[in-house]
Amino acid sequence: MIADLWQAVASGVMAGSTYALMALGLVLVYKTSEVVNFAQGEIALAATFVAYLGLEHHGVPWWAALPGALAFAALLGAAVEFGVLRRAKDPSVLGTIIITIGLEMVFLGLVSWKFGADPKTLPFPLPPYDGVSLAGAYVSSLELLTAAAAVGLMLALYLVLAHSRLGLAIRATQQNRDAARLMGVRTRRVLMATWALASAVGALGGLLIAPVTMHPYMMWDPLLKGFAAAVLGGLTSLPGAVAGAYLLGVTENLFGAFVSLEFKSVVAFAAIVAVLCVRPSGLFARHHVKKV
Amino acid sequence: MSMAMARWWAVGLAALVLAGPAGAEEGVTDTEIRIGQWGPQTGPAAPWGAVARGAGVLFQLINDEGGIHGRKIRYQMFDDGYNPAKTKAGVKELQEGPGGIFAWVSGVGTAPGLAVRDYLRERKVPWVGPASGSHHWVSPPEKNLFALYPLYRYEAAALVRYLVGTGGKKRVAIAYLNDDYGKDGVAGAAAELARHGLKLVAEVPVEKGDSDLKPHVLQLKKAEPDAVLLWVTPTHAVGLVGTGKAMGLAPQWASTSSCSDLVLMHKISKGLWEGVIVANFTELPDADTPLMKKYRAAFEKYAAKDERWGVFFYAGMGFAEPLVEGLRRAGRNLTRQALVAELEKLRDFKGVLGRVSYQPFDPTDPLSRQGQREVFLTRCLADGKAERLTDWLTVE
Repeated sequence: MIADLWQAVASGVMAGSTYALMALGLVLVYKTSEVVNFAQGEIALAATFVAYLGLEHHGVPWWAALPGALAFAALLGAAVEFGVLRRAKDPSVLGTIIITIGLEMVFLGLVSWKFGADPKTLPFPLPPYDGVSLAGAYVSSLELLTAAAAVGLMLALYLVLAHSRLGLAIRATQQNRDAARLMGVRTRRVLMATWALASAVGALGGLLIAPVTMHPYMMWDPLLKGFAAAVLGGLTSLPGAVAGAYLLGVTENLFGAFVSLEFKSVVAFAAIVAVLCVRPSGLFARHHVKKV
Repeated sequence: MSMAMARWWAVGLAALVLAGPAGAEEGVTDTEIRIGQWGPQTGPAAPWGAVARGAGVLFQLINDEGGIHGRKIRYQMFDDGYNPAKTKAGVKELQEGPGGIFAWVSGVGTAPGLAVRDYLRERKVPWVGPASGSHHWVSPPEKNLFALYPLYRYEAAALVRYLVGTGGKKRVAIAYLNDDYGKDGVAGAAAELARHGLKLVAEVPVEKGDSDLKPHVLQLKKAEPDAVLLWVTPTHAVGLVGTGKAMGLAPQWASTSSCSDLVLMHKISKGLWEGVIVANFTELPDADTPLMKKYRAAFEKYAAKDERWGVFFYAGMGFAEPLVEGLRRAGRNLTRQALVAELEKLRDFKGVLGRVSYQPFDPTDPLSRQGQREVFLTRCLADGKAERLTDWLTVE
């Protein structure tokens, strides 16, 4: 019983790490541009398939292909911001959601068309299923890497935002775009940089899923769960998003282990509804009051 | 023109109009037979989309050889994305559109097929060879619906019989996709185990969206199985074998024809699929029977450049064979009634699937409409090739 509990918690933390990477990307973009980027999953998908193309078909070594894929994601993210969202004239929240969902479909279609529907797996320096026992609970080395990446990135992003000039510019842009611009912050560049950074974070999530399973729809579930985690955490708080992701992963796995495996994946969405009823701005964000 | 004359003209015209369609069957002209199929070309089920493309290549081959009794097959295929609502809309559109459809062939998936079964029955349109081993096609059997794919229950029974009988396994468990397909596997395995005085030691449901399979492996492990059936998608099957290996669960794995594309399974599992036993309902991809050679040549000639000679591609050709045979036997004077009558006469018809037989329609006998009842078992070798474990096995 205790062993089961421990394994469920460990599995939950590991599953939560993937959600956390997606949630971090979503929060970064939302914080600066107030856009929920539903295309993030498919930007990651495209980057992952670019890595696959290099590794599987062109003999590119992994130490070049994987960073290359992250760079590709960053470029694609920047291009989306520069080429599409910046061009949208005074879009409403609904408008930007429609735009990112539309882009999501375009990228998904392109990947399906170019690479076909057969499932694949990404060649990766770590074998997908080897793992270690943590006090009796099994976790794979790939999952440990994902967890390290999620926590490490969260800390790094937090430090960048809090202490660097770029971070200051990002925060200024987020708080009042006009005032920031008047103070000499190049807000457009800041937005573009955030999109690039967020897309690369999401792509890292994709690259860490792909050694186990890789097909055009692989990012749907992680993105939805990442979105759920971000909403739980309040959509504007990086530590909140990561905490939300771990909470979600652990709750899900405890539910799966002790209540019903059948309804495990529904838990995430039940949790969102519950949290939003009690705390509409999420567990970790300060309540947002719109100034008139 | 007098009123009486006009009246005669009207009667004559009406007679002509009425006589016209009575002579010709819907979907058949002097030069064409219109055949329809749906299949997922996009969406999560798209790997099975090869079925509809395979059928297309077979029809192209037949047309280039001169067609059937002077008529070419006009193949109308559409992408339903494995979405039953789209299947239904697409089938209605083609069926009721100009020209109509004479008969439907194959069509991937239990849920999409169920969405149009009643519609096709009401319009009395023949439907031959659904690409799914669901029991729904024959329970109850229908006059114009000719099931082909061996029932998943047969596959489960054949695997259990081999595992228990030849392999001496006593503790058989199953991981199943929580839908009709998965539940058919559970039912078939449980029934066959009962005949040996055994029970499934664990039944573990997997949801389509599950990507972390540790909880499932844990549940399996607790039951200490010596054999585990995998009635899931190819991706889940690989995940279970891989996670199982890492967590110290190493039973004899066995899986369904859905995971029988060993080349693909071996590749995406990075070799872990080696040793897994699977059920097969078609010849093996490298079989060198004259028919398989002919189909491979047609594949080289007609298929798209990046198409793969996978099991589900040539199975798509196989699912269309009984319909083609029925059309040939029905002759130049083609009607739906004639097609159904000829299909009922098929006995041990052999294409690239197993033997196919139908019986005159009997509403109480599912076997009168279940064409193929045999499967054979293979084991995956180190290079993704198949080692044949049994000959074709018929499960009653």
